[in-house]
Amino acid sequence: MNLDWSVVWQNSGALAQGVLITILLTFCTMLIAIPGGIVLALMRLSSSRILSGISACFVEFFRNVPIILLIYWTFYVLPVFTDISFSPFGTGLLALALNVSAYNSETFRAGINSIRRGQTEAALALGMSHMEAMLKIILPQAARRVLPVLASTWISLFKDTSLVSVIAVGDLAHNALEIRAQSFRVLEILTAMAVIYWVLGYPQAKLVDRIYKKWGVKE
Amino acid sequence: MSTVAAQIQNRKNADQTPVVEYRSIRKQYGEFVAIGSVTARVNKGEVVCLIGPSGSGKSTLLRTTNALEQIQGGELLFDGKPLPASKAGIRQVRQRMGMVFQNFELFPHKTVLENITVGPRTVLKVSEQEARKRAVALLDKVGLADKADKYPANLSGGQQQRVAIARALAMEPEVMLFDEPTSALDPETIGEVLNVMKRLAEEGMTMIVVTHEMTFARRVADWVVVFDRGNIVEQGPAAQIFDNPQAERTRDFLSHLGWDG
Ligand SMILES: Nc1ncnc2c1ncn2[C@@H]1O[C@H](COP(=O)(O)OP(=O)(O)O)[C@@H](O)[C@H]1O
Ligand SMILES: [Mg+2]
Repeated sequence: MNLDWSVVWQNSGALAQGVLITILLTFCTMLIAIPGGIVLALMRLSSSRILSGISACFVEFFRNVPIILLIYWTFYVLPVFTDISFSPFGTGLLALALNVSAYNSETFRAGINSIRRGQTEAALALGMSHMEAMLKIILPQAARRVLPVLASTWISLFKDTSLVSVIAVGDLAHNALEIRAQSFRVLEILTAMAVIYWVLGYPQAKLVDRIYKKWGVKE
Repeated sequence: MSTVAAQIQNRKNADQTPVVEYRSIRKQYGEFVAIGSVTARVNKGEVVCLIGPSGSGKSTLLRTTNALEQIQGGELLFDGKPLPASKAGIRQVRQRMGMVFQNFELFPHKTVLENITVGPRTVLKVSEQEARKRAVALLDKVGLADKADKYPANLSGGQQQRVAIARALAMEPEVMLFDEPTSALDPETIGEVLNVMKRLAEEGMTMIVVTHEMTFARRVADWVVVFDRGNIVEQGPAAQIFDNPQAERTRDFLSHLGWDG
């Protein structure tokens, strides 16, 4: 069996571009899914039955549907029933953001619930509203507890973005699989792809370990 | 009886509108009656201590005062008016009451100074500069001027509780509520907190204090209310309660604590 690694170098431009898209997609998804998760968690914890119900349904739906199905669904089904259609990147982003928002919401909810009731009472006793108590006192404390969990979600997300390759978003997985199809250099390209994901993912994973050490719950 | 009546007549500011008045307060948690029917008053400038066995409803009554707990019956007056029903109205009342908790409940993500300024900044919209100035003065008052930039976790229990008192005072309250402020403290730091409270009382602050510190209650309280199983068994001037208790249950409770007068 002869290996020809030159195919990797020849296509380094497309691979690099794929890396950029993968990072961009991860970043944009989190940019939406963190505020999204907070809003969903606050809705879920609010005293309004309606808000709390909507949030619960949303979360339970999007958390339990496979991401790949969500991607196909947004890409093929949504435009049929509505006039809404997105670019492949937009579609991938939407599907991932829905899923990760649902996950983050549960993370934030657990974080908020882990803060002692007395903290809210101390804030209320000063005359703060529930909202002020949440924003100034509870969320900043919850954020510290939630950070390590968000960091692991980030790592999963970074790898899960590869799922959007099925709708031809030019991310790393998609570009690599294209090159493979054109060059028939299956082993070389798949190896290169694994190495690139690993080289990018490993430092992030190490960083998460450090975040856990530094910020993980100790009390 | 006539002596008690006379003592009540001599009660501090007895003629004024009470700051807080409890009229047949009832509080239930579901079926469980935490407070049966409590009637008591707190006059301006008075220190009223609530004492009694654990689980007798002292904290519950204190927490109804600033509406952290809702009452199911009776009427609670603050400054002569019933507690408002609206959320905004309740917030206004809470601004005028300071509360100190058994577990301090300082905000761990904020420095000592920020703990004290966050209330005035957020609620009263006081300027940063003004809030800091007031906070520094309050820290000085509770003897912690050098701790302004520390985080609560780096303070002893007694120091944390003194910061919590300063935090409550920063809102310039008309009445201070204390829920067993020294129960979570190491014995050697209890004194520093009680001293701050004693000075506050001497300055004329109206205070409602749930406590097991009988020496403090005897020396500082103007009025003592004895609880048992959700009801008041006896109330009166500290001298009466501690030196000449009228109710059997008061005597039992005090002797249980080893109080010998
Ligand atoms: N949130 C609650 N739910 C149910 N029962 C409660 C709650 N808070 C207090 N209680 C009960 O009410 C009674 C009075 O409690 P509390 O006021 O804390 O007593 P104290 O402060 O005198 O020790 C206790 O029996 C306690 O178990
Ligand atoms: Mg209590």
